[in-house]
Amino acid sequence: MAHVPLVPIGAPREQITDETTFREHREALAEREAKLKAKRAEVHAGWGDKYKERVHAKGKLTARERVDQLIDPGTRIFEVGTFVNDGELFGGKLRSPGAGVVTAFCQVEGRWCMVIANDNTVASGSWWPRTPEKIERAQEMALRLRLPTIYLVDCSGLFLPEQSKAFPGARGAGHIFKMNALLSASGVPQLAGVFGDCIAGGGYMPIISDRVYMTEQAYMVIAGAALVKGAKSLKITSLDIGGPEVHVHQSGCADVRVPDDEVLIDCLRREMRRLPSSAAPFYRGDAGAIDPLHPTHELAGLLPPDHREAYDAHQLLARLCDQSLFWEVMPEVGEEMICGVGRVGGLYAGFIINRQGLVGDPEHPDGKRPGAILYRGGIAKIAEFSRSCDADGIPIIWLQDISGFDIGAEAERQGLLAYGSSLIYTNSTNKVPMFTVLLRKAAGAGYYAMSGLPYDPVVQLSTTVSRLSVMEGRTLAIATYNTKLDDDFEIVTDDPEERQQIVDGMKAVEARIEADMDPYVSARQMDTDEIIELGELRPYLAALVEMSYQAIGYRRIKNPRIWSLHDLEVLTRGVR
Amino acid sequence: MSTASRIAHSEAPPRLFHRLFIANRGEVAVRIARACDALGITPVFAASTADRGAAYTAGREVVCVGPGRSSASYLDAKALVQAAVQSGCTAVHPGWGFLAENPVFASLCEVHGLTFIGPPAHVMHLMGKKTPAKAAMRAAGLELIPGSDGILSGADEAEAVAERVGYPVLLKAESGGGGRGMRIARARDEVARAFADAQAEARAAFGDPRVYLERLIEGGRHVEIQILGDRYGGAIHIGERDCTVQRNHQKLIEESPSPALSADERARTLDAAVRAAANIGYVGAGTMEFLLDEGGVLRFMEMNTRLQVEHCVSEMRSGIDLVREQIMVAAGHPLRLAQPDVVLEGHTIECRINAEDPSANFRPSPGTIARWQAPTGDPDVRVDTHVQTGYEIPPHYDSLLCKVIARGDSRDAACDRMIAALEALVCEGVPTTIPMHLQILRSEDFRENRYDTRTIPGWP
Repeated sequence: MAHVPLVPIGAPREQITDETTFREHREALAEREAKLKAKRAEVHAGWGDKYKERVHAKGKLTARERVDQLIDPGTRIFEVGTFVNDGELFGGKLRSPGAGVVTAFCQVEGRWCMVIANDNTVASGSWWPRTPEKIERAQEMALRLRLPTIYLVDCSGLFLPEQSKAFPGARGAGHIFKMNALLSASGVPQLAGVFGDCIAGGGYMPIISDRVYMTEQAYMVIAGAALVKGAKSLKITSLDIGGPEVHVHQSGCADVRVPDDEVLIDCLRREMRRLPSSAAPFYRGDAGAIDPLHPTHELAGLLPPDHREAYDAHQLLARLCDQSLFWEVMPEVGEEMICGVGRVGGLYAGFIINRQGLVGDPEHPDGKRPGAILYRGGIAKIAEFSRSCDADGIPIIWLQDISGFDIGAEAERQGLLAYGSSLIYTNSTNKVPMFTVLLRKAAGAGYYAMSGLPYDPVVQLSTTVSRLSVMEGRTLAIATYNTKLDDDFEIVTDDPEERQQIVDGMKAVEARIEADMDPYVSARQMDTDEIIELGELRPYLAALVEMSYQAIGYRRIKNPRIWSLHDLEVLTRGVR
Repeated sequence: MSTASRIAHSEAPPRLFHRLFIANRGEVAVRIARACDALGITPVFAASTADRGAAYTAGREVVCVGPGRSSASYLDAKALVQAAVQSGCTAVHPGWGFLAENPVFASLCEVHGLTFIGPPAHVMHLMGKKTPAKAAMRAAGLELIPGSDGILSGADEAEAVAERVGYPVLLKAESGGGGRGMRIARARDEVARAFADAQAEARAAFGDPRVYLERLIEGGRHVEIQILGDRYGGAIHIGERDCTVQRNHQKLIEESPSPALSADERARTLDAAVRAAANIGYVGAGTMEFLLDEGGVLRFMEMNTRLQVEHCVSEMRSGIDLVREQIMVAAGHPLRLAQPDVVLEGHTIECRINAEDPSANFRPSPGTIARWQAPTGDPDVRVDTHVQTGYEIPPHYDSLLCKVIARGDSRDAACDRMIAALEALVCEGVPTTIPMHLQILRSEDFRENRYDTRTIPGWP
């Protein structure tokens, strides 16, 4: 059978859930998504209008204005890392919205690329704690997808009061340049536009790029004027030390000088035009992107915000796959998991999703057991499916709503540890791009087994109802106070004071875990890449799948700045 | 018959599909089978239990696809695909109606190894979406009904657009259909209310509150352009058809050329329509529908991504067998005709004859046809039908009995020939709409071309 036997799945909304329930779910989610929108707007505003005006007064654009001008008209950006550092204060009082850098998947001249833009409305584009990690994460995504990477550089250097958190570690600022080098070594095209300050570490970020553009306001220096003054008693401006006059004409560290931001952005677009076009239309063949038959916007009313409430996972797939067509693979075994192939934007992707509610139990054919749990059959099934997609080069989308592995004597006897290990080996060694979505629950080893962030999915998305943790708060509270509870989890003691202490203690444990599970906490700590509205899920997936098929950036041709030949020249003839 | 088609029909049948599944019934099934016969393809008929014994399937291969109710037979995409695969077919012709414009059916055919005879699913899908379809057509230079540039952002924009395009205006749901999610505003102070009502109804009915605005053109003439495209970017038109004579949006009489269209506007729009079809990657036969406004401008309304009931009008005028071309193109053949090869001659007119009682408010009248005799002998008269003496009209489907197509050197000559043909047509046992057609054709209003979509000439 060489045909992909897709069949229609899903049912109209009115056959799945009644109007009231649907509306209640949608409204509950809308409340959370209103908060998401507000928080995004806050990050997008940077440090606010005063700083925006300051940028404009210099005749420059803000980072977000640059991105808007760079992308293809009528397209949207798919941002990642929006909430890194969310709610944290540095130097005692300073916020760093988006960690002072915009990282987003963008379409430029029809080609997907990763754009990394220092936010010049936040402390002149300084690098905060986690700014390097955020940039490196974006570079990692670009590397995995071989996406051309565009740096819009405007960075005054490390935020020095907190330097110890951003400088020395394995993922400290210097690792950005290692990522620059790895991208180059893998053949991923890198472009840099330098729009202003570009000091110290900032100076390295652009110059490994294949093409470097500088505006007349831009300079790249290992140390700026202030430091040179201190160290060498020289009075000289930063522009004189490392402006375009120096770097374009003398050092060769940049290629082209341009008058201003607008021209530079046009130049970057022109560079993108020079790259090979996307292979996605080739892989689509005669198929095209077609909306799901059952509309995507219904997801918001079909996924109950309460993680204990069940739903039909097929209905979610029906609202994510083109035309609601899907080929379910191995439906007869491990029915707690659904896996199969569908098209997103006309391109094939593998989907793996947990089934909720009660599912069949092969060991006890008359009985049912809860879904959203990994049992032996399901683990073996998704491991094999994951391996097959990898072998076939099909990107994999993991849709998690998982409580964890099955536990207990039967589970151990069946060897769930070993089957889980096989799955983990598979996911750890897959070469194909994998994307993980935390629909709701992402608990314990289930989060790991289904390619949670520790297993290097290219991107991990959370929803506003995601709950990421080792276990639920209630479970941990019971485990913590185990010795004080009877078999029905009732508190044993008769002493009212002690009883109150236990009640309070359990509540505190539950509250702490509940707070930890807030998706904004995950996003702040970079434990997830982005929080999205459910209605955005399909556009995000369509974009990511299309990037997986783009196939630009596989040919390794180093740019002349990093030729080893230059080293030979210096070694044999002395410095020119 | 034009030169081009005379050559085409004298050729030996080309190599293509061996077996073709007809996912339809009645008159169109017979029409498709005729093209298959000419091409040396074995047609396999889908039939519901209500059609299984019908005379039009006699001597044909038939697969029963379900009960008489069309939702369980002719509209059951999975059952039809399964029947086509199991009967060894490699292509599926959807005809018109039923699943002909269903992109899921088209995709389902393709992924199961069947060539769907029609445009690619994504093109069909694009043309099914209102504002994207219009944007694609505008890009190719077709005129649109003046209105908003896509979806309205709110009542303020609605008012601004209404002021610009002039009243009355129509607010329409992007996901709408069947008249729901539509509101008319005749003055500025009605726009905000109409917008809110349309939006609320659209949200309730389709779960999609998006609304756009168009000037409401009352009256006007319905003109459509027949397009034929191949897989390689080639596209031609086969002229236009005027389908202004309608009753409750059901076309009664179609003719070509349109007696109301100026030569310049015809030439300009035909060119733009071909360009639009090529731009969107249209494959196969399709029809772009226009409203001819009071200023004589053709304004694009929608595209039907399939063969039309009235395709015979264009066939008679051009000598081209559209179903044959559809099948050829689907099998990967480039178009055999360039635009200059398409010669449109004389005037052609078609009447749709239904089993309805015009004297009883067009009540459908299923029953048995006691005697049927279609006019024969005149090469300028064509009758497309699936009925014959003894045919029992099932109650489940539309009541079309036959189409009579007549050609003449002039419009009057074509009309006179049609009158003679309809007078010669014998259908006993069930009432038909023939008396109404005769009354229209004889009326001064019709002959003098004094009507628009709001009135039926010669009929009260």
